[in-house]
Amino acid sequence: MIKKFTLRIIYLGCMRFFLKLIVGVKYINKRVLKEQKQFILVGNHNSHLDAMALMASLNWKQLPDTHPIAAADYFGGSGIKARISKFLINAILIKRSKDAVGEKPLDQMSKALSEGKSLILFPEGSRGEPEKMQEFHKGIGVLLTLHPHIPYIPVYISGLGKVLPKGERLLVPFDAYVTFGEASWVKYKEVESIVQEVHSQIIQLKDNFDKQYKPKKKENA
Amino acid sequence: MNILDQIGFEQHKEVFSIIGVIIGILILSTVIFYILGRLYPGEQTTELKRRTRSWWIMATIFITATVVHPIISFIAFGLLSFVALRELASISTNMRVEDRGVIIWCYLAIPVQYYLAYIGWFNLFIIFIPVLMFIWIPFILVIRGYTTRISSSMSILPTQLMFTVFSISHLAYLLSLPEIPNFNAGGRGLLLYVVFLTEMNDVFQFIWGKLFGRHKIIEKVSPNKTWEGFIGGLVSTIFMAYFLRFLTPFTAMESWFVGAIVGFAGFIGDIIVSAVKRDIGIKDTGSAIPGHGGILDRVDSLAITAPVFFYLVYNLHYA
Repeated sequence: MIKKFTLRIIYLGCMRFFLKLIVGVKYINKRVLKEQKQFILVGNHNSHLDAMALMASLNWKQLPDTHPIAAADYFGGSGIKARISKFLINAILIKRSKDAVGEKPLDQMSKALSEGKSLILFPEGSRGEPEKMQEFHKGIGVLLTLHPHIPYIPVYISGLGKVLPKGERLLVPFDAYVTFGEASWVKYKEVESIVQEVHSQIIQLKDNFDKQYKPKKKENA
Repeated sequence: MNILDQIGFEQHKEVFSIIGVIIGILILSTVIFYILGRLYPGEQTTELKRRTRSWWIMATIFITATVVHPIISFIAFGLLSFVALRELASISTNMRVEDRGVIIWCYLAIPVQYYLAYIGWFNLFIIFIPVLMFIWIPFILVIRGYTTRISSSMSILPTQLMFTVFSISHLAYLLSLPEIPNFNAGGRGLLLYVVFLTEMNDVFQFIWGKLFGRHKIIEKVSPNKTWEGFIGGLVSTIFMAYFLRFLTPFTAMESWFVGAIVGFAGFIGDIIVSAVKRDIGIKDTGSAIPGHGGILDRVDSLAITAPVFFYLVYNLHYA
């Protein structure tokens, strides 16, 4: 109860205000979220703020039941760090290395989906270089083959990599955009094709976004 | 007690009249575009309707921020500077990526500048950015110790500060000007006057250009700007400046002159931002205002008219 309440206070009360007014986050096509009860948000990853920006876009009901997936080796280092990320980001911590003991990451995520929870996934794994996209891990594909009835929503996040890039501690406000794609259900059965499909959807969001907001190459440069 | 007395209509009748004019224009254009939309449905009228809707929101925010309380006005203009600076910093491509931290200093200059405006410390207000920040920003860049392409950052950061913070803060300083005899509208009147003239100048340049525009002024920078639009806008602005001079201490002659200067300055601000956008290769500076683009697309002309108007009125009547 307390946890649900704190989450709502943090994200709907402070975080949304902070992100929109101070940082300059703008949400595009946010209505997609309202239309779905359960979903997997799949986005590109450039900044610690990515998960928070997505959490802050959810509504009162969705917020406590949506969990970002975070790496245990990064966020769960010490006991306190793990507790904070579980409590404040509502994260599900997974162990990245193959020979780790305990529950397997995919089982953890699949279990959460079976319980009716929504997930926030960054299939690139690490945040990587600012504003560049990397290859996707396969986990998202496996997860969607196991739960084909749950829609995924592709998200393209631009600019947050400039606000708080990897390895930097200072947050600098810049305009950032979070673009939601339409909710889709998987068309394929093979893991590889699903990963491809999700990846290309995010790339398409990126292309559409760039067409409108990003500098174009000059004709006579 | 009469409602008019309660809101102090007699003491502030100039301010109330201009607000009446603004709301009247908005209602009129809403009705016109609604009828046009019925007669000629299409992309263009939808766009005009969207713009009008945004004008309603901007006018409401502006009037509220101006009328309710001076502190709210200072905070609102400070936020406007902040959002405009953030937008400009986000689109500029020629600053070094490593200098992102230095932008924090630019952001921090905003509360200082607006506090100086609020307490009315004129001598520091006019030098804080053009002198002190102009030294401080390059100094911070230099002590970081990397000189490759340092001159791009050195030139762009103070320029951004001048354009978005120094300029716009003059609108707020109008509210700190002392009272002068036989002039009731005060700083609020001046603020409403210059913002109204600047925005209407934009609108009239757009309208005259759409109706009669044939000869391009500066095609490579802004293909929609025509001589007909520019001159039509200028003449309209001079007339508005004359008829609204009850908001100012200006004589009739002075108001003709101020109108011409505001019209010309607005045009300059407009094409400066157009040229920057063209250099970067974007159409709008952001997506903050539906139908208009970003905040900068709307305050571009204001960034030039604000200081020009301020020093005109200051030197004519306050110095």
